[in-house]
Formats: sequence, structure tokens, C-alpha cells
Amino acid sequence: MSAPGVSLHEALLQPGAHDLRRARTDWIMQRIFQVAAFLAVLPLFALVFYVTLRALPWLSPALLTNNPLDQQPGILNAVVGSLQMTALAILVTGPIGIAGGVYLSEFAPRRVAAIGELVIDIMLGIPSIVAGIFAFLVLVPILGFSGWAGSAALGVLTLPIVMRTTQEVMRLVPPSIREASLALGVPVWRTTLLVTVRTALPGVLTGLVLATSRSLGETAPLLMTARGTNAENFLDFGTTMNAMPIVIYQYANAADERSIGQAWATALVLMVIALLLNVLVRWRTVNSRVA
Amino acid sequence: MSGAALDFSRQRSASADPLFRRILAAGAAAGGILLLVITGYLIAYSSPLWAIQSPISFLTTPAWITGIEQADGSVLEVYGAASVIFGTAATSLIAVIFAAPIGILGAVYLVEFAPRRLAAPLAFLVELIAAIPSVVFGLWAVGDLSNRLRDSIEWWIASSFGQIFPWLSEDPTAPASDSVFRAGFLLAIMILPMIVAVSREFLRSVPISLREGYIGMGATRWEAIRDVVIPTARVGLIGAVLLALGRALGETIAVTMVIGNAEGIPSSLFLPGQTIASKIANNIGETSGAIPLASMVALALSLFLLSFFISLAVRLTLRRFSQVRIVS
Repeated sequence: MSAPGVSLHEALLQPGAHDLRRARTDWIMQRIFQVAAFLAVLPLFALVFYVTLRALPWLSPALLTNNPLDQQPGILNAVVGSLQMTALAILVTGPIGIAGGVYLSEFAPRRVAAIGELVIDIMLGIPSIVAGIFAFLVLVPILGFSGWAGSAALGVLTLPIVMRTTQEVMRLVPPSIREASLALGVPVWRTTLLVTVRTALPGVLTGLVLATSRSLGETAPLLMTARGTNAENFLDFGTTMNAMPIVIYQYANAADERSIGQAWATALVLMVIALLLNVLVRWRTVNSRVA
Repeated sequence: MSGAALDFSRQRSASADPLFRRILAAGAAAGGILLLVITGYLIAYSSPLWAIQSPISFLTTPAWITGIEQADGSVLEVYGAASVIFGTAATSLIAVIFAAPIGILGAVYLVEFAPRRLAAPLAFLVELIAAIPSVVFGLWAVGDLSNRLRDSIEWWIASSFGQIFPWLSEDPTAPASDSVFRAGFLLAIMILPMIVAVSREFLRSVPISLREGYIGMGATRWEAIRDVVIPTARVGLIGAVLLALGRALGETIAVTMVIGNAEGIPSSLFLPGQTIASKIANNIGETSGAIPLASMVALALSLFLLSFFISLAVRLTLRRFSQVRIVS
């Protein structure tokens, strides 16, 4: 079997044609995986580069101090509108979501927790347009197209995000910490708030930031609830309210240069805010189990 | 005695526990109640439509005609969701066809091959894509990507396969300004980070020892991936794709910006079309009257049920991986 002068042992260690082919396949497959990974990040660079390129000529201090129809193009009312509708949505759904998440991870009986998780899953999957049409049906007939309705639509989308992240991070708190506190005679509510929730606080805040970021970028639900306006809308929740995504959508196909420029500039501002918020929280969590 | 005082304070604060639990439970209940209320509203507000048209005919009729007066004075009203359901299915499938292989292969690279120093930043960058608002994707597509796709991939597919499959054909002299295909491709980019992130979680959960055992027996790394890692993580990978599919189905604004919003089922993927979500976004503003509104809500209800079943499918698929959890 083996060539003369070569021991069986050595012959077996010689790579044959079959082994070389396997090694080559291995090398080729590695390159394919590598290319796929780089293709996956390519759109990020293409998008950020292109948006920046188109937005740069329109960036000026006036952009953030003027309203759309002022002499100098601006998006002040859109930035204000986005921030206040998101703030209202988070202020209302944040505490509810955190409470619900804490309940599901700490106190809920097994079956209730299972149902709760299913509900959160389904709510996370609700398309934003459905949240929009819900607020449109419930609030627009009563309050008209308004900041209130816009916030409500956003709240439907942020609630499950906050609840899920809270529940997940609470689960990661080691039981021994709770037990130590309870063994010292600290009542359950103090243990939960001052020990468990406090330990999980960075994760809970991550959830709030992710919900904020999601909410700032939502367009469809706001189009049918807050509608957008060219007027100032500071804290004026009772009437139509502008938002950055609305400006982008409405001006994207505009005929005049100025409006299109405003769309790109707004897109850059919105994108930078969203990326910053995510860089803030994700860099720490991307390689841990909780994202 | 001070001991009694201590006891008393402890009892008083301990008695706050039931109230505390109830407050927290109310928070959790709020989620469930909200879901029920949403479902209730969608069902109630879509019901006027069922008086003039059955749900089956709604789902299977391609025509959508809102109140045209006939010669004999009667008003013709037909609400058929088949063409928008086609649009939603087509765009989502195109998205998954492009995003699933690249996403899963990319995740394999991140977990199996990438050096540590490269893996973390790459995974981070991919997840950042998910942070970009969909309206910004839409604007990017309107301003740049859509035309590039038309002149590259779309042109290539149409000129290679358009003769054989009419649904892949395109008029080379006057390609449409918007198309179902371009909307689907944009969706692929948008769901890619989700596929990468979720697949990565599941690939990472495959025990190192399985790979080591196989490689120790003489397998190459690729063989270990093919025969051990991917089969072990298979269910999770399917879950990742389903999750992304659910996301693609409901995506509204970016699709609305590039799909062209044309009525009817397009004869080719390279022609404009419409999805359930884009039709709602486009038409809800001009809707008046109980029945047209009901038709919009009926569309929303179908989309809601579709994503409901996808969520359920994801949950059933991933049930056995209770230690791996996914947010957003």
C-alpha cells in the first residue's frame, strides 16, 4: 500500500489530493463568509456617506433655529415636535413598561409570565402603521390630528420595548443578591427597588434609550396622527404637530431644491441623533447576551 | 422598647408589599389590555366592510374600487386586498431571499472566523444599521440607491432572465421609475442587521466542544460548520429569518417611498406595485365615509393578523432556546 521507503505512518500523514481539495474548499468557504460579513456592513457606509454628502450644503445654524417656511430654511418645529412627542410617549410608557417588566420577571406566576412574554412578542411585532391606525381611530375623532394622538401612537410602539428590556435585564440579576437583602429583613418592595432594579438599572436605561431612538424615527404612525405643520408647535399638543420624519417624507419628492435640501438635512440630523443614542447604549451590550 | 418600634416599622413597610406587587402587575396588565383594545378596535372598525363584502372575497379580489357611480345610478364598490397582499408577499420574499444568505453567512463569519478584534466592531456596525430610521432609508433609496439598483442588479436580471420569465422582464429603453423589486431589495438591507444579530446569538450558543470534537477528528473548520454548527443552530436560524420576515411585512414608509404605489398586481417585479402597509399610508389621508375607512382598517387588521402569526411562529420555533433572547 505505501510507497517503498515510506513507512505506513508517514504515508498516512501525507496530504493526498482529497485532503488538498478539502483544504481548498475550506479556504474558499472562509472567503465567502468574509465577503458576506463585509457586504452586511457596506450599506451603513454607503447610506451615511450619501446622506452626509447631500445634506452638507444645507447645514447651517439657521436650520435649527428657523421653521420650514421662514426666510432661511429650518426644521426647528420638527425637532421640537419629535422631541416632545417622544418625551411624552416615554414618560408615560417608561414607568408602565418598567413596572410590567419587573412584575413579569420577579413576581408573575409561571403561566402568567409565559402569557406576558407572548403578549410582548406580539406587541413588538405590531407594524408601526397598525399602531398609527389605532391612534387614528381612538384619538383623532376626539382630539383631532394632534400631538396627543402622535404620542399615543408612539407609546404603543415603545411600551413593549421597555417592558422586554426591563424583564430581560432583571433576569440577569443573580438570585443571591435578592436573597441576601431579604435575609436581612428588608421588605420585598425595598429589595426590588433598591437592590434588584438598581443592579439592573443600566440595562433598564438601555431599554429606555432604544425606545426613544425607535420613537424618534417613526414616520407612518405620525403621518396619520400628528400630520405635520409649518407653524411653531412648542408644547402645543392640541393641534397638528411637526416631526423630523414627517419633514423627510413630505419633502423627499418635492419639486424645489430648497425643500429637497431640507429633507436631506433633516435626515442627517435624525440619523446622527439615532446613531449617537445607539452608540451610547449598544457598544457596551453588543457582545453580551442582552441587546 | 426599641425592639417593638423596629418590629412595628418593619411590619408597616412589609404591608406595602401587596400594594407594590399590585402596582407592578397593573403595569404588566396594561400591555395585555392595550393589545386587546387594539385588536378590538381593528375588528370593530373593520366590521362595516363585512356587511357588503365577505372576508374571503376581501382577501381574494384584486380590484379596489371606491364608489364609482354606474350608468344605472347604483354605486360600484369593490374592496379587494389580493393585489396589496401580493405586493407585501413579493417585497418580503425578495428581502428574505437576499438578506437571509448574506446575513447568516456574515453571522457565521463573525462567530467562527473573525478575529476577536474585528468581530466586535463588525457586529456593532451591523447593528447600527438597525438604528437608522426607515424614512432615512427611504430617502436614500429615492435619492440614490433605487437608480443604482435599476441600472445594476435589476438590469442584469431582466436582461438575463426576462426573456424566459415574463415576471422578470423590463422595458430596457424605459425602465419604471419605481419597482416592487427595488422596494424588496431596500427591505433586504433593512432586515439584514436583524438576521445577523439573531443568527449570531444562536451560532454563539453552539457549544465550543462540539466544534472541537469534530475538528479534532480531522474535519476542517468549514466541515465543522456545515456538519455540526449549522445543524445545531438550525432552528435558531429559521427563527431569525422568520423574525426578519415579520419585520419586512410591516415596514411601511421606506417601501411607500420606492414602490411606486400603483394599483393592481404588476405583471413584472420590475414594475411599480403596492403593499398592505403602503396602501394604508397612502390612502388613509383621503379616506372619508364609514365603508372606505372600514376597508383601511380591514387592511390594517390583515397586516396585524399576519404579524401576529409570524410572532407566534417565531415563539414556537425558538421556544426551546429559552436562554437566548431577542429584543426589537
